[in-house]
Amino acid sequence: MLTLCILVPLLGALALAAIPSIRESTARTIAIAVTAVPLLLLLVVWAGFAPGAGFQSVAEARWIPSLGIAWRVGVDGMSLSLSLLTGVVFLAAVAWPMADLPRARAYYAWFAFLYAVSLGLFVTLDLILFYVFFDLSLVGMYFLIGRWGHGEAQAAALKFFVYTLAGSLLILIGIIALALSMPEITFDMRAIIAAAPLAAAGLPAALVLLGLFVGFGIKTPLFPVHTWLPPAHVNAPGPVSAILAGVLLKMGTYGLVRLALQMMPQTFVDWALPLGVVAVISILWGAIVALGQDDLKRRIAYTSVNHMGYAVLGIAVAGSAMGTQAARDIALTGAVVEMIAHGLITGALFLIAGAIWQRHQDYDMAAYGGLAGVAPRLTGATTLAAFASLGLPGLAGFVAELHIFLGAFAVYPWLAAIGLLGILITAALFLQLLGRVFFGALPAARTGFADLTRIELGILAGLLGLVVLIGVWPIWLLEMIGTAPVAVAGG
Amino acid sequence: MIWSLALWPVAAGLALWMLSRGSRRRLTALGLAAMGVTLLLSLVVAATGDTSSMAWSPALTLRFGLSAMTAAVAVLVPLVGLCVILFAGVHEAERGLARLLGLLLIFTGAMELVVIANDLVSLLVGWELMGAISWALIGHRWREAQATPSATYAFVATRAGDLGLFVALFACFAGAGSVDYAALTGLDGPYLALAAFGVLVAAAAKAGQGPFAPWLFRAMDGPTSVSAFLHSSTMVAAGAFLVARLQPSFAHVPGFGGAAMALGLATSLAGGIVALRQDHAKKVLAGSTSAQLGLMFAAVGAGWPGLAILHMIAHAAFKAPLFFAAGLAHERAGTFDLRRMRLGLALPVTGALAVPPALALAGAPPLGGAWTKEEIVTALGHASPWLAAAAIAAGGLSAAYATRFALLAFWPGEADETSRSNWRALAALGTLSFVTVILSGIWLPGPHDGVARLFEIALPSPGPWIERIGTLCALALGVLVGIYLARHPRAGERRDWLGLADLIDNGVIAPFLAAARLSARLDDYVIDGLGSGSRGRGLLAAFVVAARAAATGAARAGEAAMDLIPTGTGRLLGMAGADLRRTQTGLSHHYYVFLVAGVALGGVVLILGAR
Repeated sequence: MLTLCILVPLLGALALAAIPSIRESTARTIAIAVTAVPLLLLLVVWAGFAPGAGFQSVAEARWIPSLGIAWRVGVDGMSLSLSLLTGVVFLAAVAWPMADLPRARAYYAWFAFLYAVSLGLFVTLDLILFYVFFDLSLVGMYFLIGRWGHGEAQAAALKFFVYTLAGSLLILIGIIALALSMPEITFDMRAIIAAAPLAAAGLPAALVLLGLFVGFGIKTPLFPVHTWLPPAHVNAPGPVSAILAGVLLKMGTYGLVRLALQMMPQTFVDWALPLGVVAVISILWGAIVALGQDDLKRRIAYTSVNHMGYAVLGIAVAGSAMGTQAARDIALTGAVVEMIAHGLITGALFLIAGAIWQRHQDYDMAAYGGLAGVAPRLTGATTLAAFASLGLPGLAGFVAELHIFLGAFAVYPWLAAIGLLGILITAALFLQLLGRVFFGALPAARTGFADLTRIELGILAGLLGLVVLIGVWPIWLLEMIGTAPVAVAGG
Repeated sequence: MIWSLALWPVAAGLALWMLSRGSRRRLTALGLAAMGVTLLLSLVVAATGDTSSMAWSPALTLRFGLSAMTAAVAVLVPLVGLCVILFAGVHEAERGLARLLGLLLIFTGAMELVVIANDLVSLLVGWELMGAISWALIGHRWREAQATPSATYAFVATRAGDLGLFVALFACFAGAGSVDYAALTGLDGPYLALAAFGVLVAAAAKAGQGPFAPWLFRAMDGPTSVSAFLHSSTMVAAGAFLVARLQPSFAHVPGFGGAAMALGLATSLAGGIVALRQDHAKKVLAGSTSAQLGLMFAAVGAGWPGLAILHMIAHAAFKAPLFFAAGLAHERAGTFDLRRMRLGLALPVTGALAVPPALALAGAPPLGGAWTKEEIVTALGHASPWLAAAAIAAGGLSAAYATRFALLAFWPGEADETSRSNWRALAALGTLSFVTVILSGIWLPGPHDGVARLFEIALPSPGPWIERIGTLCALALGVLVGIYLARHPRAGERRDWLGLADLIDNGVIAPFLAAARLSARLDDYVIDGLGSGSRGRGLLAAFVVAARAAATGAARAGEAAMDLIPTGTGRLLGMAGADLRRTQTGLSHHYYVFLVAGVALGGVVLILGAR
């Protein structure tokens, strides 16, 4: 089942790339279909999923037995919820209408390819496959930004690619170190999680862990290795940005939990506080720098640094040996919810930014104002997404941040108290953004601004509907995520 | 059942906003009907004492319930809400009326959630939702340049206080493992203190106490009906409600009572002076709200939360009609400048209906507001005569600003053509004015003992007679000062809040925004520094330079890395394929050196890590 989730979009990508006679509208239909099918399959997996019962829907196929490498897939609560998120965000991004799209067939082919490897990364249980999917996701994103971006797209794409690839090499080293330390070499994640092979390795274990921190920290991204993110976002088309923020950044935090936290819990304990400090710096720095931006998309991009900082804070708390087990569980659950919430909310915000670019090719907030009069639907969607992003109760971001800080306060009260200032700054920066772009007087040049089309509105309504649902009634998601991931991590 | 008290107005408000098109009359009727249903619901819930809970997350359960005292507030909110909708339906611009009425209903739902909450998470949800809707309400006339910045100011100011509520919630969970109000009583030590002071800060922010006062002035850029609702029974009043609601859990926290009394009385005195110096009709009322809420805080600090709630109810009944009157005066005069009003002959009915609320604000017997204020003076007197003296002085100031306001706005001016205000607006004003008069009955022992029993609150024993004398003297003096100031209006503008607003603007907001811009530049030029097209001077660029030196100079490290370089670059080339040619930029060599450095670093880790 999970294998099919990867194969369907991969085959779709191949078909789109190989058959030159496919027209643009057909290409989009095919892409939507191969995006929707895995999502449906994942819903089936979810229907049969027992929360908290470890990895499920597992499938294995022998590949290179001498090195312990095999095709292994399976999901627990965290990876299932992230896979579902991937499906939803990709569906929204692929379905997002792109006017005057050059080389549409290739565009949709790359999207389908990126979808397959993103899903693969979350559902695989083999570290080598994990690494391969991690790097392939860079390739897909590289071409999507470089070929369909605007402005200095190619420089931004290259910066993104090399920066993240450098990080991925550190991850590869960590993976090899973990596999070699097993009694019998294997890349099976379940075996490594169960054995935690580097538990007593001292300095080498610490170096491997730091390598993983840096590698995943670049992807997340954390301060101070976040500077590839703004140019990549600013120059990418809206749907590509939505994927970058909504799905690819999650790979960093997912890796932090799966590899660093679950495979090296004993070493993690020693480094939880420094990681927490970096996370809090990311929270504040991301928010403050976002407030200093005049460019709409750069502002949203920096809020990603802020929000992923919350998620990493939750992970750091979960990996500490302090406080109660209940507090650490709640922080980790919060971190996973933050990934989901940020994926949906920021995905929506970047699609909105894309809609604005498609209409007037300008991200300077000063060039807008008073759009509420001509584009009430766009205003409503942006307002809802902005309030969700600033953590308003009743919306998904609040559920995440509440759980993270509940746990963090019981473990690192001072860090939590300082990090809490982030939610005040995000409030200021989003409300200022809304005020500048949507309210006040309408500039003469913007009188012809077109409101969202029905399709655009429908896509945003789908994403934001989930944001409201999770915010008002989150227990179904929290139960799906479960607390299984930490059961092994208790120090 | 009880949750419908919060859910129904929200759902009805959304429906009204999204679906309703039509005339003023139709929208108002729909709004009144929805608010009327809310009132009925509140009465039913208050009568049945329904409670409810909801499993919201595996660790957190939301609980709802009403006590006798909170039930009174639950009924008060839609009662005032009915008058506000009626007034808004005729007074506010027709454009956007459906949105305004819908938002007022949603706002009611958020306030009711605060009232029925029995745990800190439900409270926080209602509390912040109210803040968000207040943003939309204050910024309702978004085409005006000042509306949205003022709304943002109000939201950020109140959210700064909300952080206190977050901290209280976290402290409660960390200390007791639960977020129920009941768990607060089980706290001790620093957790209890954090919870108590966190709640106090959050309440002070909403209620415009101390340093948070200026947002009430900025909120005056919103529609008048919104101001009336915010200042009487929701949002601002919610601050007093919250401290009164949770006071029993915090009564023994060292410094809590003292801090609440000091904050309340200081704000009450400062707010009185601010209101007295203002020439903007709504800002006079806004200053008076801070001052009156200050008295409620003082009552809570002294250990009499029930008195705070009673004063809140009396205050709601007289503050909303005063805002209505100010709105009608603005309709006629075209300005909120009190020096250009004197509309007694132009708006005789409005002026007459505004008299009882103005007298209640002044604290003049026999109106109900005077009794509740007097009880607060007595309660404070039991703690210390100095506190009672401060409250008496605050009462004198209230007499002065209420007198000045009423005289400037509605003293007969030049003989002018009488204009007739819409009867529905006058009905809204008249209803609450009438309620204010009815509340006079609370001076009688039968009614006030009955109310105390019904709401299950304690009343202080009578204080020394000198307090009564002092109050009457302060009242008389205040009225005389008010008359004098009304007759001698001063030209020119006053600084808002004795310069506190400017201090916050120039001392907090402007530096922070400047710091944000500086940080943005630092991020671009120092932390990144690769720039686009420049040679790069930042940290990352320095790293690239250092890596280049290391890569060329340290041969041995380079050799160790050699094994991996083909892998890395090979992968890069293989993946990129023909498309890579498109991406050749002048900066590529930077990146490749960076890549090599990463590989070298990785090699070291591998050597050490995988022995």
